[in-house]
Amino acid sequence: MASSTAPVSLLVRRPDAALVRFVFWSALLHAVIFGLAVVWALMHETPAIDLSQTPIKATLVRQGRERDEKLLPRIEEAPPPPQEQKAPEPVAPPEPPKVAAPAPAPTPAPPKAKQAGEKQGDKQKLFGAFDKASKKPTELTGAANGDPQGDAAKAEGEAYYARLQSQIKRYYDVSDTIPDAERIRLVAQVAIFVNPSGQLDRARLARASGNDLFDSAVMTAVKRAAPFSPPPPHLRDPLQKYGVVLQFRP
Amino acid sequence: MIRTLVICLLACPFGALAQAPIIEISGANFRPLPIAVPAPQALNDGAKSVAQAFDDAFFFDCSAAGIFQVLDRKSYLADAKEGFTASTITFSRWADVGAEALVKVQLSLDGKDLRGEMRLFTVSSGKEDLRLVHVEPEDQPRKLAHFFADALYKQFTREPGPFQTHIAFVRRAGKGKDIYLADWDGRRASAVAQGNINLLPVVTPDGGSVAFTSYRSGKPALYLQKPGGQPQPLVTAGALVTGAAFSPDGKRLAYSMAQGEGAQIFVASADGSNPQALTDTPYFINSSPTWSPDGKRIAFVSNRAQTPQLYVLTVSSPKDVRRLTFQGNYNQTPDWSPRGDLIAFTARDERNAFDLFTVNVETGKVTRLTQDQGNNQEPSFSPNGRLIVFSSNRSGTSQLWVMTAEGQNQKMLPMDKGDYSTPDWGP
Repeated sequence: MASSTAPVSLLVRRPDAALVRFVFWSALLHAVIFGLAVVWALMHETPAIDLSQTPIKATLVRQGRERDEKLLPRIEEAPPPPQEQKAPEPVAPPEPPKVAAPAPAPTPAPPKAKQAGEKQGDKQKLFGAFDKASKKPTELTGAANGDPQGDAAKAEGEAYYARLQSQIKRYYDVSDTIPDAERIRLVAQVAIFVNPSGQLDRARLARASGNDLFDSAVMTAVKRAAPFSPPPPHLRDPLQKYGVVLQFRP
Repeated sequence: MIRTLVICLLACPFGALAQAPIIEISGANFRPLPIAVPAPQALNDGAKSVAQAFDDAFFFDCSAAGIFQVLDRKSYLADAKEGFTASTITFSRWADVGAEALVKVQLSLDGKDLRGEMRLFTVSSGKEDLRLVHVEPEDQPRKLAHFFADALYKQFTREPGPFQTHIAFVRRAGKGKDIYLADWDGRRASAVAQGNINLLPVVTPDGGSVAFTSYRSGKPALYLQKPGGQPQPLVTAGALVTGAAFSPDGKRLAYSMAQGEGAQIFVASADGSNPQALTDTPYFINSSPTWSPDGKRIAFVSNRAQTPQLYVLTVSSPKDVRRLTFQGNYNQTPDWSPRGDLIAFTARDERNAFDLFTVNVETGKVTRLTQDQGNNQEPSFSPNGRLIVFSSNRSGTSQLWVMTAEGQNQKMLPMDKGDYSTPDWGP
């Protein structure tokens, strides 16, 4: 019949059985979508960011007697930078006496003369630090790249974001001209997309603060901080596809 | 329509999952704004003759403001052909030299009028943020410069700038000491009191006159005088009267008057009538009064605890006295910030050097502003409380210097050679 094939609005009153069927299928569809979403989320778990994570702050402490509190304060000056110690010039091995002719037959190179002061012990000290990384533990259990807690990926992700944060913060210079009253309500968001090698693919202002100087300062900070270190493997894809949002407050 | 709605609803959970994580970044390094201030463009020959004077004043104002890092002109080559509008300026060039803001000024002389036009641009966006036209008489290029500098300051901070205000100071002249009233940078100075010994000038709250201590009658007394006018006696009765300080509303006058072996703080009407003693320590000296911005309290120096220290009293109940400084053994010349929170003062430290400090009125925290730079004395806050003018002998002779209220960006005022002291920054 022509009337049964004509499109019917969802709002038209239906017989009860049809309504029950509609509700049933609708609920089932929602459940399936929700289930799929949960499974998808579990499979592509994005690392949680610990917002309370704070960088380690080091404070230089002056050693010696404390300043008498009855004396006027002095402006503390940073200690002078340590004098750079010049690396000893390598001693050039004495040139062999030139022999005109005939050309001597090639001989195996003599063992390199030991430089003054160089001992086996020194060498070990020098390269010991690098050796540690390559040294294999005596007992091998579990995966080669595993860690005792088994949450290496998460911890690595958090550490990566913390590094990202501190690297950008180093360039987070904001103009002093912004009035105090305005500073407390400034918030800007920048979405950044980082490729697997750590290069900044693109950065865009996701949410402007309303103050041009502040917006340009945060964009400058991001651009100056790039390139970043390569993201850990499990973050490479999300960081390139979906990026990460940096929320700036003064 | 409904189909679209259903699809949107279905897509919602996936949209949420695709949302990127958020990293919070705060704790910005606040630093002065890098700003390029190229020399003004003179549009006609008349303007060329005054452009240098304008430029000197404008450049110094911007440099001393404390909120800008004015880029060294040697770091960029200003293109004389570059335009004056956003569309004709190559902003990438300015960004390359590190400028975040750019100020351009055009000057033209039209008859007796010096016309200036200033434009401010944000370099990153290439946007024009401010456009201002102002006219001054042809012989007032510095006044025009101060007007523009104030507008620039206000544009960024939403606060009045300090560049159209005035300072009074003492200049040594042979054996005498003269008093001058000048622009904030010490230029365009006009003599107020000359001959004899005149000390401790204070600009009146209306900015037109100067009150000072003078020995013209043989003993120190207070006078009021306009540049070019005659001295009006303010407080001449009694012995040794020093250190006038007008209340912020200009209706009252505080000063110190010697009585017997001590000296007491008095408050009188602005014309010196109805004096009333606020302190009563017959064997101790109380001097150098300075008013709080609300006019309810007075800070002063007293040696009642053996060494000169700063104290605060409430004018309505003068017995309510509180000692403010406990560090150092020679604290003097207090000046209360117009913002109310700090009092700047001179102190002699354990190395016998005079240096400048601030003390927080509520917490008593003392902060050092100058160090290892000769002797620095007699601080006076700008009317907006952001800058401090003071005298320093770090360059060999006593000169006037300016710095921020935190002690940053210390710069010598571009004054003629001379021996200057006791500056007072007024409106």
